[in-house]
Amino acid sequence: MALYSEHTGKKPLKYARNTVIIIILLLFALATIFPIYFMIISSLGDPVEAGAMSYTLFPTKISLESYKFFFDYSDYSLRWLLNSLIVASVVTVSNVFFASMAGYAFSKIRFKGRSVLFAILLVAMMIPYQVTQVPLYILIVNIFEIQNTYSALILPGLVTVYNIFLSKQFMSSIPGEILECAKIEGCNQFQVYLRIILPLSKTVLAVMAILTFMESWNTFFWPLLVTNTMDMQTIQVGLKNFRFANTTYFAPMMAGATISALPMFILFFSLQKYFLKGVTVGAVKG
Amino acid sequence: MKRKMRVLASICALTLALTALTACGSSSTTKEGTPESTNNTNNNNTNVSTEAAKDTITALLPPVSPAYQENFSQMEKDFNALYPNLTLKIEPASWEDMTQKLDTQVNAGSPPDIAFLGSSGISKYVEQGMALDITDAATAEMIADFDQAPLEYMKNGTGLYGFPAYMEVHALGGNKEFLEKAGIDYKKIQKEGWTFEQFREDIKKGVVSEGGKTSRYGFVFATAGVASKDYLAILVKSAGMPAAFNKDLKFAYTSKNYLEVLKDIRVMIDDGSMPKELSSVDAGKRWNMFLTGQTMITGKGLAVFENSANKNNEKIKANDGSAVKGSIPAEYIVLPVPSFAGQKAMASAVVDGYVAFRGKKEPTPEHKANVVKAAYFLASGKVAATTNNDLFAAHITKSGKKEAESMTVNRNPDNVAAVEAMLATASPARPDIPTDLGAKAIKLEDEVIIPKLQALIAGEITPEAMYDAVKAAAIQAFGEDGVVKD
Amino acid sequence: MTQIAKPIKRRKIKGDSGAGYAFIAVALVIFALFTAYPVLSALIISFQKYMPLGSKFIGFDNYIDSLKDPLFWKAIKNTVVYTVLTVPVALFISLGVSLLILPLKKKLQTVFKAIYYLPAVASGVALSVVWLWIFDPMPNGIFNQLLGYFGINNVNWLGATSTSMFSLVLMSWLSSHGTSIIIYLAALLGIDDSYYEAAELDGASFLKKLWYIVIPCLKPTTLFLLVTGVIGSFQVFQNAYLMTGGGPDNATTMVGLLIFNNAFKYFEFGKAAAQSLILALIIGGISLIQFKFLGKDVEY
Repeated sequence: MALYSEHTGKKPLKYARNTVIIIILLLFALATIFPIYFMIISSLGDPVEAGAMSYTLFPTKISLESYKFFFDYSDYSLRWLLNSLIVASVVTVSNVFFASMAGYAFSKIRFKGRSVLFAILLVAMMIPYQVTQVPLYILIVNIFEIQNTYSALILPGLVTVYNIFLSKQFMSSIPGEILECAKIEGCNQFQVYLRIILPLSKTVLAVMAILTFMESWNTFFWPLLVTNTMDMQTIQVGLKNFRFANTTYFAPMMAGATISALPMFILFFSLQKYFLKGVTVGAVKG
Repeated sequence: MKRKMRVLASICALTLALTALTACGSSSTTKEGTPESTNNTNNNNTNVSTEAAKDTITALLPPVSPAYQENFSQMEKDFNALYPNLTLKIEPASWEDMTQKLDTQVNAGSPPDIAFLGSSGISKYVEQGMALDITDAATAEMIADFDQAPLEYMKNGTGLYGFPAYMEVHALGGNKEFLEKAGIDYKKIQKEGWTFEQFREDIKKGVVSEGGKTSRYGFVFATAGVASKDYLAILVKSAGMPAAFNKDLKFAYTSKNYLEVLKDIRVMIDDGSMPKELSSVDAGKRWNMFLTGQTMITGKGLAVFENSANKNNEKIKANDGSAVKGSIPAEYIVLPVPSFAGQKAMASAVVDGYVAFRGKKEPTPEHKANVVKAAYFLASGKVAATTNNDLFAAHITKSGKKEAESMTVNRNPDNVAAVEAMLATASPARPDIPTDLGAKAIKLEDEVIIPKLQALIAGEITPEAMYDAVKAAAIQAFGEDGVVKD
Repeated sequence: MTQIAKPIKRRKIKGDSGAGYAFIAVALVIFALFTAYPVLSALIISFQKYMPLGSKFIGFDNYIDSLKDPLFWKAIKNTVVYTVLTVPVALFISLGVSLLILPLKKKLQTVFKAIYYLPAVASGVALSVVWLWIFDPMPNGIFNQLLGYFGINNVNWLGATSTSMFSLVLMSWLSSHGTSIIIYLAALLGIDDSYYEAAELDGASFLKKLWYIVIPCLKPTTLFLLVTGVIGSFQVFQNAYLMTGGGPDNATTMVGLLIFNNAFKYFEFGKAAAQSLILALIIGGISLIQFKFLGKDVEY
């Protein structure tokens, strides 16, 4: 990266610099990763109750019993994963598409009421969900009558203000000249969006996809509210079933948490190339 | 192009306006109470009865016992076999989230027909008008099946709002070996109880420390976060305050005995019998401390803990690394809570059960009868017997006891006797406390008592300061005449 | 609020108004149904004593009660303290980490990004268990063990009013920067190399490049992270709920938790709605200031 000097010809200097950087990053990584490490090693323990859980840095015994327990515990364990996958995928695709469209409009198209509308969106974001939950529940369950369906799980999340805001902020840094050039060449707005904005925004769209997927995958309260049967529950709701009145099946819960983290990891790595290579304006200009 | 877009814009505007209208509309209908003929939204099937009317009863149930949720489909099947025209639809939810789910459904005006909850939660729903009084729908036969004491807990005012599932005592639990080492005659205490003074000396004897470092405490109670509520509630019951209000409906926690208990709470920590970090010991932590021999006595103790301890002992014996790290064989002994300020000890009873709810529409008598059938089905007979055995809880229905005869449970007979003795002296139900007073007391507890108690345990305020704060808040909430003065 | 995204004068493009509406149509409809409608309902509820079987209109009582309630003010104060201590630090840390990752080889970049992203993946409930252990008040808690090496007495982290808020802040410092790091990295990669090339011709040092190119170019991103960070922090609920329950002595009671308690624990739904609208006003005010200071020359 050009922000850093390449130290051409001074290899030792570059290595020294990178070593220092890596050490700093590793130290911070240690702190960040510790809870995850603990989650994974606890998942390798026996399926015992939580009061009986051991606080230990190194597993005394490694077994996959808890994973087995997790899948045996309920006939629906796999179904929960599938449900989460369906919901999160639809929500992610729809957000990437619609939020980027809106973000483009809010950043690059001048239209009447633009700033007012955008301000309204932001204000709505500032209201805590605890309060909007009940009216939303009334809407979905009592008015639309779609409780316990995928629609109920998906609809409220189709486009989030957060994503519109995110894409607007990123797209605002795309130089206007490029767009105008395209228009002079006869592209209409949709073509501009499709041919110029989307390719230039790959990075942020990948970020958005990951964050949205993660958010949707980890949502707990809403799916809990609108599902009535085990076969419609998502993994996050299902995981909580391991907690009982005064006890918790700790290791299987951690096994479940580990399993539920896997899809996001896969997604992260599959979108990795977009993170690594900045799809920048320069790429187009060149 | 421009025109086309103007159309679109107006559509957007219209949507906005429409939603605003529906917002107003829905709340105004509730305000005026006009019947909602347009949308039949209630998921409580308030079907008009046709001949042999089919009906569905919904129940929101947490994992009451470890094996409880596994039996859901069996329960649904059994119920349908018993009443072929009725369907029981069980919604599972985890224990701690089910209140939130239920509360959202209640606020939206469409709760399930039956939900499992603690009897102390009933008043909140009664005040909202959403709990269903089943007095007239419950048959004499059903009522007669239940023990009187737990059934009382399901009442509020004159109404009966559901059936109890079990009645448990919140007691203490001790490690048999350590108790004997400290020379404590636990069998005698199980039978006769103990005073705080005696308790204080005994837990001092349980402390093991070397060079200023304590390796074993005499007594540890889970007090982190909301658990501190249990701690104080359990102690004050044995200080002559079985409920937040006395018989004349005056707020009881302004009594001087209350201050006495607060002082004693502090004393046990200052003695070194309890850890000074007590304020962040949670339920999991103190159980870990019990199993690893870091404490002689723990609380709160439930009957089911005996089971957990036994299981861990087996794992230690098997020596396959699956037991709790550093744990030692521990035999769990049920112990009563000591009595304070010369008052009579009174065990803290907890009753949970199946509470009936109504939706926005008044349910038909047929539906109500069906709901009661379902609640009774869940609270008695085989379902109750299996569940309570799973929990090591006593059976409170005659039909449940009968079913349980054929099931075997491995329990220490001394413990069974101790629990029964405590249940006999358990704090009685107080259906006479009006819902608004109850609600005020709960809020005062949450906003003043618990926060101050946490500070007291952490050693940041004195017992007197806490007592004064509670008294001031109580006088503000209930008036000078609404509180006990002695 | 109209200052937000104030369009800088650009050459006019004809027929854009229509296209603008077309592009936001879907988003707007979904927003109207699933966000605006519940918000408007909440607004109405805030003037009522809400009851599922017939609410009562009580005017501004909910607002007045809330503003008179010392606990509400204490919660606001706690929330402000928490926000001031966490959000700027979080921005600083995530920008720093992103800048440090940037010069590394691709493979290492991936590894570190994955590591920092990890905690965001795991569910909060599972992680809170670990954090409770880290903050264990007994000498065998992780932090207390660390302090023990330095001969410092063990601290009652979450259990004392003096340390509980700091413990929550510390927890936020050491976790969950994954999202901001990813967003910052994306933005850093989006900076055109030609800027650096130009600067290098002028012989600019690393710090100069950082100050004159990177920071200004990241402004839209920083603004985004700051605004959403503050909003998130003001609504923070889960940490307080899972770790301390608001205690001890309400030292960690945040507005989000208070609203939750009012809505669900005490069934004072109208009051909860009123409090969230007051909260929204406060956040709105703060956001406005942020936009004014950072949003001025965002568009170019």
